[in-house]
Parts: sequence; structure tokens; C-alpha cells
Amino acid sequence: MASNRGQGGIQQLLAAEQEAQRIVNAAKNEKLARLKQAKEEAEKEIAEYRAQLEYEFQKKVSQSSGDSGANVKRLEQETEEKIHHLKTEAERISGDVVSMLLKHVTSVKN
Amino acid sequence: MKDADVSRQIQQMIRFIRQEAEEKANEISVAAEEEFNIEKLQLLEAEKRKIRQEYERKAKQIDVRRKIEYSTQLNAARIKVLQAQDDAMGSMKDAAKKGLLRVSNDKKVYKKLLKDMIVQGLLRLREPSVLLRCRESDRKLVESLIEEAKKEYSEKASMQSPKISLDDRVYLPPPPKNGAVDSHEPYCSGGVVLASEDGKIVLENTLDARLDVIFRQKLPEACKEAPVRLNNITAI
Repeated sequence: MASNRGQGGIQQLLAAEQEAQRIVNAAKNEKLARLKQAKEEAEKEIAEYRAQLEYEFQKKVSQSSGDSGANVKRLEQETEEKIHHLKTEAERISGDVVSMLLKHVTSVKN
Repeated sequence: MKDADVSRQIQQMIRFIRQEAEEKANEISVAAEEEFNIEKLQLLEAEKRKIRQEYERKAKQIDVRRKIEYSTQLNAARIKVLQAQDDAMGSMKDAAKKGLLRVSNDKKVYKKLLKDMIVQGLLRLREPSVLLRCRESDRKLVESLIEEAKKEYSEKASMQSPKISLDDRVYLPPPPKNGAVDSHEPYCSGGVVLASEDGKIVLENTLDARLDVIFRQKLPEACKEAPVRLNNITAI
């Protein structure tokens, strides 16, 4: 009877130890899973962040393309205006300049 | 020891074991949450920094490329304006060159001009002996002017009359054919070339050379006499 009583108690203690180990192991596994989840969540947020930056980048690219187009157009227009003004002015003064050049060529001061 | 006591003691030990396990599990859970946050934040920050740098680099590349592109276009535009400027000046010079062709056609004016140019050359050279070259078509005219030029030079320079040798073997090029001043054939619109006897000093006093000098050096100055200023063009 006495040995029988002791045996029952030992069995209960062993079972408790096993349950304790199971509880601890479960916590450890949950921890590993949580860390893995951390990596997964981080990667998800990183992907979202990258997508956001890519979107903003593409928006900036297309906007700057529009800007560049406008700049080129304005530059071309300014250039044509300058050249037109240049030609107009040259035509206006050409006769006088040529006369003056010839006058100097044929004026000899001795 | 009574059975009840033993049983109670065993139950107490069992509760203690479970409590220990649950406390440890709780510690692990807390640590897990803490490490979860740390891990996640570290990963996020590291990757975000990388991504941000990547896109900053991309944006910078776009900016640089755009600046280079604009700079190239701006430069091309400037060259275009300068080319138009050069064309305008070239047109004026061509018009002046064509005008030179008429100078030697006016016999009276050209005769005096030629004499004055010879005297000017003599005054510049101040050589006792001078070699003179002219267009073949001007030879007779020049021969008729030499004595007068020598005399005028002597008076102005208070020098002895120089010896002038007219080169009858080599002449200056003839006038341009059909008034084609833009052809590549050498031509001379009029005037003379004088050289010291040893040939070391050469003075080119042709109409074309005079036009070149005046065009390059005196045009800005000469324009002050004009009703309008050429500076309007160069100021653009």
C-alpha cells in the first residue's frame, strides 16, 4: 500500500513535469513563429513602402518630362525670337554698315 | 505521514511545477513580443534606408540627366544664335566685298585711291628700296602713279625718294570672275602689295585686306558713326 501510494504520486509529478515542458516548448515555438512573423510583416511593410516610393518617383518622372518638354519648347521659341530679332536688326542696319565699311576701306589717311 | 497529507503535498508540488512553467512561458512570450518589435523595426529601418537611398539616387540621376539634357539644348540654342549672328555679319561682309568690285571700276576714284595706298605703304615701310606688286590689269595705272607717289612720300616723310621696283613677273590675282566673291579661287579687288627689298617685310594694302582689317577691328568703332548701333546684335 505504501509503495503503491508513492508510485501514484511519482506518476503525477512526472506528468506535471511533462506538461510544464510542453507549456514552455509551446511558448518557445510561439516565440519563433512571432519572430518569423516579424520578418514577414517587415517585408510586407517594406514592399508597401517601396511601392509608395516607386509611385512617387514615377509621378515625378512624368511631371519632369512634362517640365522638360515645356522648357525645350520655351527655349526653342526664345531662340527663334532672338534669331528673328537678329535678322530684322541686321537687315535694318546692313546698308549703313556696308556703306561705312566701304567708306573706311576707301579712306586712306596719310 | 497520513495519506491526505502526502496527497496534499504532491498536489502542492504539481501546482508549483505548473506555476513555474507558466511563469517561464510568460517570460518567453514577453521576450518574444519585445524581440518581435525590435526585429521588425530593425528590418524596416534598414530596408527603408536602403530603398530611400536607392530612390534618392534615382531621382538624382534623373535630375542630372535632365540638367545635362537642358544644358546641351541650351548650348545648341546659343550656337544657333551665334551662327545666325555670324551669318548676318557674313552677309554684310559679302555685300561689302561686292561693293569693292565697283571701286576699281570708277577710274578717277580708283586712281587717287591707288596712289594714296602706295604712299601709305611707303610711309609704313620706310624702306629705301621697295618691291611693288599689283594686279596685271592695274599695271599701266600703277606705272603712271609711281613717280607721283615717290614724290608725295618724299615730301611727307622728309626722306630721299625711294626706289620702287614693279614686279613684272608675279602679279596679284585678278578680280573675281562674275563677281563671285564666295568662290574659292584667289582674287584681288584692287590695291597693291609692297615689300622691302629683302622680302622680309611685306605690307598688304589691297582693298580685300583693308576690308578684313576694318571688319575685324574697326567695325564696333565704325558703327558709332552709323545711325544705328551694331551693339544691338551682339547684346542679344
